[in-house]
Amino acid sequence: MTGTVLFTNARLVCPEQGLDATGWLSCTDGIITETGTGSAGKSVHKGKVIDCKGDILAPGLIDMRVQSGDPGAEHLETLTSLKEAAAAGGITAFAVLPSTMPVIDTAAMIDSLQLRASREGGPALYCYGAVTKDLTPDQMAELGMMAGAGAVGFASGTLSIQDSQTMRRIMTYAAMLNRPVIHHCEDISLTYEADMNEGETSTRLGLIGQPAEAETIIAQRDIALCRLTGAHLHIAHVSAAGTVAAIKQAKKEGLRISADTAPPYVFLNDISVSGYQSSCKLNPPLRSEEDRQAIVTGLTDGTIDVLASDHIPVNPDMKAQPFSLASTGASGIELLLPLAVKLVKSEIISWLEAIALTSTNPARILQLPGGSLRPGTPADLVQINPDRSWRIDGRQFKSLSRITPFEGQPAEGCVTGLWIAGRKQGEG
Amino acid sequence: MKDKISQAPAATLTGRHLLGIEGLSVPEMQGLLDRSAYFAGVITGQIEDSALSHILSGKSVVNLFFENSTRTRVSFEVAAKKLGASVYNLSVSGSSVKKGETLIDTAVTLNAMHPDILVIRHQNAGTPALLSQRVDAGIVNAGDGRHEHPTQALLDALTIMRRCGRIAGLKIAICGDIANSRVARSNLYLLGALGAELRFVSPATLLPAGIENFGVPVFTDLEAGIDGADIVMMLRLQTERMQGREIPSQHEYFNLFGLNAERLMRAAPQALIMHPGPMNRGVEIDSAIADDNEKSLISTQVEMGVAARMACLEALALATPDRGRT
Repeated sequence: MTGTVLFTNARLVCPEQGLDATGWLSCTDGIITETGTGSAGKSVHKGKVIDCKGDILAPGLIDMRVQSGDPGAEHLETLTSLKEAAAAGGITAFAVLPSTMPVIDTAAMIDSLQLRASREGGPALYCYGAVTKDLTPDQMAELGMMAGAGAVGFASGTLSIQDSQTMRRIMTYAAMLNRPVIHHCEDISLTYEADMNEGETSTRLGLIGQPAEAETIIAQRDIALCRLTGAHLHIAHVSAAGTVAAIKQAKKEGLRISADTAPPYVFLNDISVSGYQSSCKLNPPLRSEEDRQAIVTGLTDGTIDVLASDHIPVNPDMKAQPFSLASTGASGIELLLPLAVKLVKSEIISWLEAIALTSTNPARILQLPGGSLRPGTPADLVQINPDRSWRIDGRQFKSLSRITPFEGQPAEGCVTGLWIAGRKQGEG
Repeated sequence: MKDKISQAPAATLTGRHLLGIEGLSVPEMQGLLDRSAYFAGVITGQIEDSALSHILSGKSVVNLFFENSTRTRVSFEVAAKKLGASVYNLSVSGSSVKKGETLIDTAVTLNAMHPDILVIRHQNAGTPALLSQRVDAGIVNAGDGRHEHPTQALLDALTIMRRCGRIAGLKIAICGDIANSRVARSNLYLLGALGAELRFVSPATLLPAGIENFGVPVFTDLEAGIDGADIVMMLRLQTERMQGREIPSQHEYFNLFGLNAERLMRAAPQALIMHPGPMNRGVEIDSAIADDNEKSLISTQVEMGVAARMACLEALALATPDRGRT
C-alpha cells in the first residue's frame, strides 16, 4: 500500500486520452484515481503532494525490445543491472528477447526469470517465448505453455525464420493463443558473411554489404502470411525504406500488423560505420540516408508504431575486433527516452507522439497494463525535465554494457522521477 | 627526369601509419613515388648510394602476416634489409594467435618489444587501422581483406612511371574481380589522384555496390573496356574471397573476361599488361601474353615492389622517431 499521492503542476501527457495539458494527477494504492487540468482543487489535496514544477508527467516507458545478458552472459548484463538501467531510462516495464543462454523456450524458463525479476522490484520484466525450440530453424517451441506462463508474445532474437511453412505454422498457432509474433526479418542468403549495409561505404571500406532488400523480402513474405493466417505480426527493428512501404500498404489493407524501430535507424546511416566504427555494427545494419529518412517518415505517419531500444549487451572485447569479427549490437535502454526527446526537440514528433511510440503503443501491442494516465490504470509514471541538456557518456550507464553508437552526442531531457505502481523508485 | 629522381629526398607523411592510399594527399603520394623511383634506380644500378644500409640502421621491422603471402612478405623483408633494419617475421601458424590470443593482445605484446614498424597483412578489412590505435609502432598495411593494398598501388604506379614516364593522361583499364580486390581500390585512389584516365571492367556480379559513385567509367564488356587503353591491369580472380557463385565457371570467365592476344588488339598499339600476381593462368590471363616481355610488366612489378616498400618504410621510420627504450 502506497497510500494517496498527488502530483501537481505537471504537464500531463497521455496519448491514449489525447491529453497534453498542465494539470494534476492523483493515485491511491498504486492505481491512478483522478486527473485534472489546471491546479488541483482543495478536495483532492490529501496524502503526499509532489510538485512537478512544470515537468512532464507521462506513463512510464515500455521498452518492447531488450536483450538480457542474464541468464548465460551475466558478465554483460545481469537482471539487476538491466533493471537499474531501465529505471534510469524512465522505463517502467520492458520485454526481454528469448535469445539468452539457455534460450527462453519453455514455461519453466519464463517462470524462473519472472520469479527472479520479481524479487528485485523495479521495472516490470515481461518475457517473449522463443518461436522455435532453442531458436533452431524449424521446430516450434511450446508456445501454448509459454503463453500460460505469461509470454507476452513470441520472438526470435535475431534469428529469422527462413522456412515459410514453419513461419506459417508459428503464426497460425500464435493467432490461436492471441499473442503477437515479433519477427526479425532477414533473408540470410542475402546477408551471408555480410558486415554492414551494401553501398558506397561498404565498397570504400572493403566490407561485405547486404542489401536492404534482405529485410524487405522476408517482411513482405511475413505480411503475406499475416494475410493467410490472420495472426498479429509485429515486424521488429525496421531499418529499410522498402519495409516501411510494405508495412504501410499492409496497414492500409487492414492486416493485423505492427512494427517497431530503434533509435540508431532513426538518427544514423551507414556512413557512421566509416573508420570501421564497431560501435555502429548492428543487426540489422545501419542503412542508407534514404532508408533513414523513410524510417523517420514511418514514425511520423503511424506506419511504425513503436520506438524500442533494441538494447543488446556487448562489451569492449566483443567490439575491439576487426569489423568483420566484431559482435553486433549496442547498449540502448538508457537512451530510449533522451533520443525520443531529441525527436520532439527537432520538431519531428510531438510529445504525445513520443509517449505513444515509447509507452502507449507497446502496451497496446503486447496487451500490457500501463501506457496511459487514465484513472484505473497502474500508476507507472515518469517525470521528465524536457530541457536539461547533457552529453551521452557510456561510462555513466547503469547498464554493464556501455558501448553506444551515440557516444559523445548531446542530449536533452532527463528523468526527474519514476514511480512504479505509485511507489517512487530509487528511494529505500 | 633522371636528375630529379637522383635527388629525390625521403618521403614525408603527415600520419604515423600507412593504412591506405585514401587519405594521402597528392604531394604525399608524389613524394613516395619519387623516392621509390630513387630506390629503384639504386636497386637497378642506375644510381649509386653507398649509404643505403644506414637509413634504417638500428630500426626493427616486424612482418605480421595473418594471411598467406610469399611475394609481399619477402618483398618487405628485402626492402627492410636493404635499408639496414632488423627484420622479424611472424607467421600466424607459429604464433600464440593459434592458441586463442586475441588480435589486440598479440599486437600489444609485440608492441611491448618496441618495434619501429609493424607490417600487417590480415584477411579482415580495417585490421591495420584497428591496431594502429593500440600500438606505438608505425603500421604499414600490407593488404587488409578487400580494403586496400597501398604498397601494391605504389609499385604499380612506379612501374608505369618507369616505363611510360608519366601517369597523367594514360588510359588505364583495371579489369576483373573488382568487388574482392584491394588492389583495385588502392589503385583507384592513387592512379586516379595522379591523373590517369581509369576504367573498371568486370562481370556485373563482381562489381561492388555504389561503384558508379567513384567517378570511374564501368564496363561489363572486356573489349569495350580496354578499347584504346595504354595499360591493361588484370586482377586475380579471388576465388578464396569469393562467396561461391558470382560467375558460372572459370571456363566462362576466361571466355568472356580473360585477356588474350586477340582481345589485346583492341587496346592502344603499345599497350602494356600488368597483374598484381599471383596469376591464374588461363582464367583471367592467357599464358602467352603474360610471358610476353615486350608487353608484360608483370616481372617488373615484382622488382619495383622492393623499391616502393623501401620508400614507405623509410617514410614511416622518419614519421616515428626513436621510441621510448627506457
